[in-house]
Amino acid sequence: MRPAVAELVERREILPGQWIQAFHAPWLATGSRAGQYVHVRTGDFSGLVLRRPFPLNTADVATGIVSIHVRVIGSGTEWFTRLRPGDGIEMFGPLGRPFEVDPRSRHLLLIAGGLGIAGVRMLADEAVRDGRQVTLLFGAASAREVYPSSLLPDEVEYVVATDDGSLGHHGSVTELVPEYEAWADQAFACGPSPMLAELARLAEGRRGRMGVAKLGRKRGGGKTDPAGSPGARRKAFLQVSMEQTMGCAVAACLGCVVMTTGGTPQRVCREGPVFAAEEIAWEAGW
Amino acid sequence: MRGKKRVVTSGGPPDIEQPAFDSPSTAVDLSVDLGRGLVLANPILVAAGAFGYGVEYENAVDLNGLGAICSKGTTLKARIGNRPPRVAETPGGMLNSIGLQNPGVAAVIDKYADTWVGWRVPVIVNIAGESVSDYAQVARRLDGVPGVAGIELNLSCPNVDRGGLQFALDAGAAGEVTAAVRRATDLPLLVKVSPNVADVRPIARAIADAGADALTAINTLSGMAVSPFRDRPMLGTVYGGLSGPAIKPVALRVVYEVAQVVSIPVVAIGGVTELADVLDFLAVGAVAVQVGTAVFADPTLPVRLVEELAAECGRRGLSSHRPLIGTALPAKRGAPSTMGVEYRP
Repeated sequence: MRPAVAELVERREILPGQWIQAFHAPWLATGSRAGQYVHVRTGDFSGLVLRRPFPLNTADVATGIVSIHVRVIGSGTEWFTRLRPGDGIEMFGPLGRPFEVDPRSRHLLLIAGGLGIAGVRMLADEAVRDGRQVTLLFGAASAREVYPSSLLPDEVEYVVATDDGSLGHHGSVTELVPEYEAWADQAFACGPSPMLAELARLAEGRRGRMGVAKLGRKRGGGKTDPAGSPGARRKAFLQVSMEQTMGCAVAACLGCVVMTTGGTPQRVCREGPVFAAEEIAWEAGW
Repeated sequence: MRGKKRVVTSGGPPDIEQPAFDSPSTAVDLSVDLGRGLVLANPILVAAGAFGYGVEYENAVDLNGLGAICSKGTTLKARIGNRPPRVAETPGGMLNSIGLQNPGVAAVIDKYADTWVGWRVPVIVNIAGESVSDYAQVARRLDGVPGVAGIELNLSCPNVDRGGLQFALDAGAAGEVTAAVRRATDLPLLVKVSPNVADVRPIARAIADAGADALTAINTLSGMAVSPFRDRPMLGTVYGGLSGPAIKPVALRVVYEVAQVVSIPVVAIGGVTELADVLDFLAVGAVAVQVGTAVFADPTLPVRLVEELAAECGRRGLSSHRPLIGTALPAKRGAPSTMGVEYRP
């Protein structure tokens, strides 16, 4: 897997300071899954020495077009917004481990906080394609930062919460979750770390509350999947996409770690960015 | 003198005559002798910390095109490292405070040494410790392990026996730990000096006198960054090591200074992103350079630098890069540098 050049085909500012950029990158469109990311190099190499990781926002196999969601927070992200159609940028990927949907799950609950939408957006496409029902809970500070519903598949039920109450539920998006707990077979979240920690707390003990029986030997009921394996994530109710400042994205520099309940730091770039919520040591303060 | 150790960058078998027009670079001898039998095929190394244990980049880079790989910093016991954020980008560079996360020397040997044996590129294991005996024990474990071509000492760790002062900041401690490692192993020994000192020269001299085979200059500069909302320091441990193009002038100054006071080879590191940087470091007396931060943006850069350096030599009609070394040093070697004072913190 070597870096290759992707050509910008379309860009638009979907929210103030937030852009969706579509690139022609057939190798990414065909080979990637929801939750994976690309590591992108800026053009200003001597000033901005690090690549930027972006979750894949959409990937269209037919056209070979993938999109990323960029929010301007510094000179690097600002550089991306100056790209014009026809410009090429170097993309490395797809990288990281994707979300794992249990084949039996019919109802998927997606929870996004702010730019966290970029982490779960593609899963909505995949789930709709696979005939699953999707509810997306989206939290933002105010109405002017709410992700446009027009950019979501029609099949997705879209519920919004804003901190200032200017749109949808007045309060945190996590307050909407209990209502869907019984409905959802699995939940997938991306957003600020406190939000993910709260979701993990809410998800704890769900199996007991819902009276979900652990069925005998069927589907390998007796064997436990090693922590961090795709199997373990597939069985988890809540999967989270973690964010951490990244250096190399190939698991070499150990810059992007999160602490796990096993007591060993795991790399967001390689073992992540998607983890089962119970893998993460939320209280460790990392 | 160096005859039997000559390594030529061209890959083909020696009995095949290369046509003259094939490439001007194939005949250029880029080999570097770092002492004690450690001869690199070319002067471009990848720096400790930037390249993991090499295996991480196996699919992305032609490893055998590199001069050497310096491994991730390795300690006696496993370390889980510092709390994140561990990385922050800064103007023209980055801060890191990984905290030497590594599985410990025994696990490193176990996991990687067999792989390293199969590579043509030498692997230099970068080691760190919190006491002189830590360093010596790690070196002893690595001694004689097939696949380990050399050792590089990271001295920017607190010395717990001396109240936590970094080894790198004190000539006595730096010399002591170098000597201890020298006694513990016959492996080629590189020692990395820190720029976070008032005058690096006495430290470099102490390290050379204690038996190091080569110096690496420089380690990262101590620095910090503030979070975007200015509510806390950016890094989980407040301080981090600054690397990248931002520190190149400092690295040049230190290489320039130490190259004049020691007779062992100096390997330069600090902000190399293009051939011009390599040539600059050679000019101030380095025999080789390491590439660190730039690898994150472009993993293939080091191998490309080798090709570009060979081509540059070819263009200048040189059969080796050696004439490029030290061209910017004062004519009278060892003359006291006028620099340094104004750079003191």
